[in-house]
Amino acid sequence: MSGDVRFDFIHFMHYTHLPEDHKKYASLWVDFPNKHFDPERGRALYERYLSELVLADKLGFDGVIVNEHHNTAYSLMPAPNLIAASLIPQTRNAKICVWGTPPNLEYPNRLAEEYAMLDVLSGGRLEVAFPLGTGMEYWSNPINPATARQRFQESLAIILQAWTQDGPTKYYGDFYTYRYLNPWPRPVQKPHPPCYIVGTGSPETIDIAARLGFGYASVFVTKQRARELNEKLRRTAAEYGHQMRPEQFPLQVITYVAETEEKAREEAVDHIRYFFEDALRTTPTFLAPPGYLSVEQLKARAALADKLHGKFSFDNVNESFFVAVGTADQVVERLEEWGETMGTNHFVFFGAPGNMPNWKVVKNMNFLAHDVMPRMRARAASQHRVAAE
Amino acid sequence: MARPDPLAGFEQEFHTINGVKTAVLTAGRGEPLVFWHGAGVWHGFNFARPWTEKFRVIIPFHPGFGASDDALPMSDMHDYVMHYLDLFDVLGLDKFHLVGFSLGGLLAAKFAVEHGHRLHRLVLVGPAGLRGKEQPKGDLFTLPPEEIPSMLVSNFDVIKPYLPENPKDLDFLGDRYREGGTVGRLLWEHPYDTKLPRYLHRLTMPTLLVWGEEDKLLPVQTAELWRQHIPKVQFQTFKGAGHLVLDEKREAVDAVQRFLS
Repeated sequence: MSGDVRFDFIHFMHYTHLPEDHKKYASLWVDFPNKHFDPERGRALYERYLSELVLADKLGFDGVIVNEHHNTAYSLMPAPNLIAASLIPQTRNAKICVWGTPPNLEYPNRLAEEYAMLDVLSGGRLEVAFPLGTGMEYWSNPINPATARQRFQESLAIILQAWTQDGPTKYYGDFYTYRYLNPWPRPVQKPHPPCYIVGTGSPETIDIAARLGFGYASVFVTKQRARELNEKLRRTAAEYGHQMRPEQFPLQVITYVAETEEKAREEAVDHIRYFFEDALRTTPTFLAPPGYLSVEQLKARAALADKLHGKFSFDNVNESFFVAVGTADQVVERLEEWGETMGTNHFVFFGAPGNMPNWKVVKNMNFLAHDVMPRMRARAASQHRVAAE
Repeated sequence: MARPDPLAGFEQEFHTINGVKTAVLTAGRGEPLVFWHGAGVWHGFNFARPWTEKFRVIIPFHPGFGASDDALPMSDMHDYVMHYLDLFDVLGLDKFHLVGFSLGGLLAAKFAVEHGHRLHRLVLVGPAGLRGKEQPKGDLFTLPPEEIPSMLVSNFDVIKPYLPENPKDLDFLGDRYREGGTVGRLLWEHPYDTKLPRYLHRLTMPTLLVWGEEDKLLPVQTAELWRQHIPKVQFQTFKGAGHLVLDEKREAVDAVQRFLS
């Protein structure tokens, strides 16, 4: 096993200036009136959030991660490639990770082009994750949720063909016809930028990742389920002849570090509450447009929905999900334990949850960069040396 | 209280049609009357029992509904027309009466413009599928499942016995989600058949259009879109009835029977 440990910083770029009566809206997604978006405040948030991701690069985080959502105060990134493009000249070393555009919501050749542009512009720092997209995206985009999974597979096949085969090539599919698939530019990284699937663990997405040898980032699943998914993916990938590497299992952790555990909780919990209670607030109908889930998945999700979208309790969240809020010692201990049980050395810090103000985000990042990451890197390196001797 | 059996009084048989297990309910004797259901089957077909006194009533479950299997390759309404050509061959049905309700009404109209010679008479009950000038009031897709039943009727008591006591009953929600997925595959991107009006002049068989005057989903004004395009159509509306006009008004059931007799 490699002695490297990898640390990324993910940002969801919430729009946090909600109206006082926002609780009267059952959902901050899909139909939350966009009159509540104030462009001037939006501009200030973009400036601030971009500065936080740029700081991550300066502090030595290995990657910065952006993602895509539509029609929602949850996210200011309906077009994450624009954010990625603006980060490239402001960062030097960090991987630019777009986690990403659902390939079935965009023309696949266009997505292959945009990602190739980002890879070339960044000198090969791009990493891509392909999500199916939440149910909410299908209420906001003119794509049929009932055929989303088939379209996802076809789009992915087209993107990979565009990246890996010398053009022009042809593609005659169920959804798309390409007589001349020949996108310029092509990516720097060969055969293509590192790829992941983002998902909540449906059998189809696990199988796609296993078949293609992609990494897998599970999101909004409980600790128990995440462990099972990683195991399942390792087994399935092996059946396809792919040996999964630890860094292909990025582990997303809600992290906040402060001087003491009490202080960390005091400073972070309200913002984590905002994340679960407000930013993620949506309706069962929006979560599951027709045909998006199997009937079995719908029933299973109905149970989890209460955990994710219901009444917030920090203890429940702390117990169910990967949450590390405490001192640097405590956070290191928890991450190392999870690294062990999850079989990963790739940690993704969600360290700007909800309406957390800039000073806390910066404080959190500094603790992580100075007191958490170096110790874990040193420990991993020494274990690596021991193993080599 | 136990929910009434929505299939009571019918015999159910299964046929495999082009690989899709298809359930067919039948009851009664006489000339064949095929009824095509709408986007939900939970309220059953008790309303159709008077017809069985004079007709052999044949109610197939569309693929993706009730006891019929899902059929993922069937992705548009015309696939359903083709499915029924096969089923009617298997059932030995050459000429028959066709009654279509809501989604089944749209399907019946599509079948009739292509295969009108096979129909004695056609009844469209609150048919879906034509686009008016105004934005639609009700869009089934956007309604939370627990709000849908009351959108469908004028008098809630008529359908209440068919609903579970707990509106979040997982099995009930699961069944409705399956139906929604089937309809989504057909109509999510194009809920309206914008070409159908061009061909409705082919409905030259005796045709009856039935509507509930208090229809909240497809307001009775929608009927004008159909009347404009169907050359000789009889039109009957019923007071005190919503979208589920057949379930709510025995008079509507009788009117259909008189029209077909």
